[in-house]
Amino acid sequence: MSDQGLVDSIPNGKVLMDLVEAVFANADLAEARQAVRDDLGDAAFVDACGTIASFSAVVKIADGTGIPLEDYKEEVSREIRQELSINEFVT
Amino acid sequence: MLSEIKVGGKPLPIRESLVREMEVAWKRLAGPGTWWTGAERLTIAAEARHATNCRLCQRRREALSPYTHDGEHDAMGELAPAAVEAIHRLVTDAGRITKKWVRSLDLDETKYVEIIGVLAVLTGLDTLHGALGLPLTQLPAAMPGEPVRRKPQGAKRNLAWVETVAPEDVGAGEPNPYPLHGDKNIHRGISLVPQEVINFFDLDVELYMKDDEIRDFDTEYRAISHAQIELIAGRTSALAGCFY
Repeated sequence: MSDQGLVDSIPNGKVLMDLVEAVFANADLAEARQAVRDDLGDAAFVDACGTIASFSAVVKIADGTGIPLEDYKEEVSREIRQELSINEFVT
Repeated sequence: MLSEIKVGGKPLPIRESLVREMEVAWKRLAGPGTWWTGAERLTIAAEARHATNCRLCQRRREALSPYTHDGEHDAMGELAPAAVEAIHRLVTDAGRITKKWVRSLDLDETKYVEIIGVLAVLTGLDTLHGALGLPLTQLPAAMPGEPVRRKPQGAKRNLAWVETVAPEDVGAGEPNPYPLHGDKNIHRGISLVPQEVINFFDLDVELYMKDDEIRDFDTEYRAISHAQIELIAGRTSALAGCFY
């Protein structure tokens, strides 16, 4: 399934993706925020922001310490990592 | 239970548990840690916010390799150069940190790991505020007290670039984050300073979900669904350059 297919398959996927992109682009977030609030409601908007915050933060631990993938994650991601040649980038 | 958070003068609903953990997180940032005092931890936080304006970091980030640019950071001048280097890299270009770079830091590994813990919590708090449309919270006043200065006896270099503590190696009387938060590699990452694991995940489970909630697809714990949460999580991780 393509990225767009995945986004389209999840209710309100596009407005949620637009919010994530706007946060990372440090762009004018007003429109992206309002779209989530209009389509999903205010409580959902707050939880979406919480999720963005969580994954923006946890990456500091992963990147700063160099923890490896667990075996079960390594197994399920083996094919895509080979396709993307991610394993070539050894640190 | 829902509380409220004012954004642009208007109240938004927010879980009471998230509000509580945000308050706890700020208090912990301001208080003495395991290796840094409260004042030092807040200086680390201030330097982290300052790092986004650093010209050296910007040149490194734009370069094919961050290791081709030497120079001095645009720093606040209150921390040793090694601490500044660590903070600025973690803030501006964490995705290209290498084992060699970590090992080259002229900084005790325990202090480096506590910096990661401080920055992870600060990033969670600041990103939430930014996404909601709130200004950055003013850093609180430092709380007095001395750091604990106790290294876990069971720390070993057998998983990551830094020493970590496996669940079975947690010593008596040492903080143990694993029973509450889980024992995946992400929980072990900063376990050289176990209180920082507790500090981060106490907040993170309210920003995201608890370990047992993540795979409980029969129950929705947030106002967005599991599928919506994971869509956001996946895209955020990709944009942050994290493939863990």
